[in-house]
Amino acid sequence: MSNIFNFLANPSRFKIFAEKVYPFLLIIMLVFISIGLWYSLFNSPPDYQQGETVRIMYVHVPAAWMALMVYLSMTIMSIFSLVWRHPLADILSKSSAPIGATFTLIALVTGSIWGKPTWGTWWVWDARLTSVFILFLIYMGHIAVVRAFEDEYKGARAAAILTLFGAFNLPIIKFSVDWWNTLHQPASVIKLDGPSIHVDMLIPLILMAFGFLFFYFSFLLINVQTELDHRKLKKLFIKKLNLK
Amino acid sequence: MRVFFKLVFRDIDLVIKGASDASAAILFYLLAIIMFPLSSGTDTSLLTTIAGGAIWMAAMFSSLLSLDRLFRSDFEDGSLEQLVLSGISMELIVLSKCLAHWVTNGLPIVLLSPILSIIIGLDFEYWWILALTLLIGTPSLTLIGATPAALSCAIGKGGVLTALVLLPLMLPVLILGSGAITAEISGLGGKGHLYALSAILPISLLISPILASKSIRLGWE
Repeated sequence: MSNIFNFLANPSRFKIFAEKVYPFLLIIMLVFISIGLWYSLFNSPPDYQQGETVRIMYVHVPAAWMALMVYLSMTIMSIFSLVWRHPLADILSKSSAPIGATFTLIALVTGSIWGKPTWGTWWVWDARLTSVFILFLIYMGHIAVVRAFEDEYKGARAAAILTLFGAFNLPIIKFSVDWWNTLHQPASVIKLDGPSIHVDMLIPLILMAFGFLFFYFSFLLINVQTELDHRKLKKLFIKKLNLK
Repeated sequence: MRVFFKLVFRDIDLVIKGASDASAAILFYLLAIIMFPLSSGTDTSLLTTIAGGAIWMAAMFSSLLSLDRLFRSDFEDGSLEQLVLSGISMELIVLSKCLAHWVTNGLPIVLLSPILSIIIGLDFEYWWILALTLLIGTPSLTLIGATPAALSCAIGKGGVLTALVLLPLMLPVLILGSGAITAEISGLGGKGHLYALSAILPISLLISPILASKSIRLGWE
């Protein structure tokens, strides 16, 4: 296992790896999302209470899961970066943040669109909604801090420290529906005694979740390639300046 | 331990002698509270409902403003560098800075709050819950703010960026603090919020010195 980490620690080696792998991830993502969309739009029953609006759930729930997952992976990478000074962990964490922020925004917007017909309001200051909104703000703060430093190394370390600090929000988001009995419904898929959702709805949900997961992986690799190219360009530019 | 108190007294001394703008932050706290009745009307029943939130918000912004200078002035005149080199544990220095900041910023906020609650129209029988939430909440605000303050030092620019990073982290304290007052006024009892609020303090006391000292060292890496 540590061999794999060491092998991929070299940025140029990782870049070759990323270039080879990401088309496959992209194809897997497209397959999952197209099958999942077909299932969720045409081949799943409408809810007996919510009617057709339940289909928003197939985008909303995976996006919310991914918003948490991306932050969790950023937290793990920050530990890697602070403890072992793994050079790639910084780049992975930096590239993850915009994707995570987008997922959070998607979850907030779709939830709001779903909330209007179902709850009768676009937005309430419910515990789950508020904590997810805070997660979005933390993502934006992370993005701003990474870009504020002239020195990439320092910026990455600062962002890693902030990511660890913001991780307190993750358990609050996950358990907010259990701790505060407010409007957002409690968990129905990820819980101890198994999912309580009907299998016809579970299948498209799981398919979409995998589609979003592979969306994250493939776009992460694209972002990492861009970042590595960007750094290389900077070095070439500096070299040219030195030659003159 | 003697070093710790010496550091704390040094910072408090600097504030008393007017070398830092800590008193301006307290003035800002007073001004911000006065803004609420002036901007949202002097209707007493409305003011009663927003009073707790208004005082909490003013307290949060006041500590936000003064936290930006938590390490900055020492960083600029070089004394922070001497402290880093002195061999005193960095976590201890952070804790001493936080304690000094709380004594000069949090404590006056707590002490002034009963008087301000009268001005803004909060029923006087609720002053104790306001003071209690502030007493538990302001040290957490200081401790949470230490890490972004140290980072803004390392970046070399503060201001909006510090606020952007700091405000989302402070929000849980604000929500629980003003929530306790609102719950108490509405008759639900603010104990639940108060317990959660007091849980934040030891957690931040544990985590923030480590992360803040890491951020300070970043300035010399």
